[in-house]
Amino acid sequence: MARIITITSGKGGVGKTTTTANLGTALAMQGAKVAVIDADIGLRNLDVVMGLENRIVYDLVDVVEGRARLRQALIKDKRLPELCLLPAAQTRDKDAVSSNQMIDLTNQLRSEFDYVLIDSPAGIEGGFRNAIAGADEVLIVTTPEVSAVRDADRIVGLVEAAEKGPPSLIVNRIKPRLVNRGEMLSVEDVIELLAINLVGIVPDDESIVTSTNRGEAVVYDQTSLAGKAFLNVARRIAGEDVPFMALSDQQGVLERLLGLFGRRRA
Amino acid sequence: MGFFNSIFGPRNNRSAQVAKERLATVLVDDRYKLTPEMKEQMKLDIAEVLARYLPSIDPDQIEVTLLRGESNDHLKADIPLRRGGSES
Repeated sequence: MARIITITSGKGGVGKTTTTANLGTALAMQGAKVAVIDADIGLRNLDVVMGLENRIVYDLVDVVEGRARLRQALIKDKRLPELCLLPAAQTRDKDAVSSNQMIDLTNQLRSEFDYVLIDSPAGIEGGFRNAIAGADEVLIVTTPEVSAVRDADRIVGLVEAAEKGPPSLIVNRIKPRLVNRGEMLSVEDVIELLAINLVGIVPDDESIVTSTNRGEAVVYDQTSLAGKAFLNVARRIAGEDVPFMALSDQQGVLERLLGLFGRRRA
Repeated sequence: MGFFNSIFGPRNNRSAQVAKERLATVLVDDRYKLTPEMKEQMKLDIAEVLARYLPSIDPDQIEVTLLRGESNDHLKADIPLRRGGSES
């Protein structure tokens, strides 16, 4: 029986799709059977992030409207046979699907997978409501910025109102150097403000850009800090007790001291 | 900015601290759907009620803030009394 987890954020562009792709990949690497669903109807993206855009024949709306069976629409990942993608429709809008249809869909997947991850659209309207309709758990992604944190708090309220239980939080794109200088909200600040359970800290990492360019998950990149962070989140979701990555930027402090001495001498 | 300050800095005027304080306010205001106009009206109403007991209240001086707490949020009202008001 699958756990159905929706990844959402309120604000766009904070890393929902990247998070969904990487958690799906990481969970499948651990040996779980995983389906990832792109619920962003009309703005399909999970396929390109995962490098599966050339394999799409049918999409979520085709399944809901009976033109394809679920099994036909599920696309197998390039590397991991236990990982499948159900792509969003690109030429339809979010009203093409109802909450009840989403619940039916997730229930059909429940018996065949260990995890179903749903990539929610940004916003708090119908698309978001559809994305959480069938979810057992909700995972909120935010970045340490005022706009993203404010929107995340709105989502916390809506998730609680939908009786989904307390959502958990991933703080994405942390820049340790800025946090150390007191010029970026720290993970502690964000948790204190949102008062929800932390499940991941992901540092800002250029390897996300290069991996996404190639349509590969960053969790394959052994040298990437963000990749390591997403692997850790997947292990925590699976129930393991994994310590949070220390992002204290010792080097930054040293550089700052050296910089100061340099300036004094000059 | 001195040498000492640039390392250990006055933490409370760093932008992260400013962001945190602004968010703390806006999040509770959002949650309780409290608009600035409603806050103003609330100050006037508080002053009106309290004036029955304390004639020395200036509604313009009242500060009303919603604060996020561990288990409960709090409405904090800071109501300064004019000195000498007790004699009038």
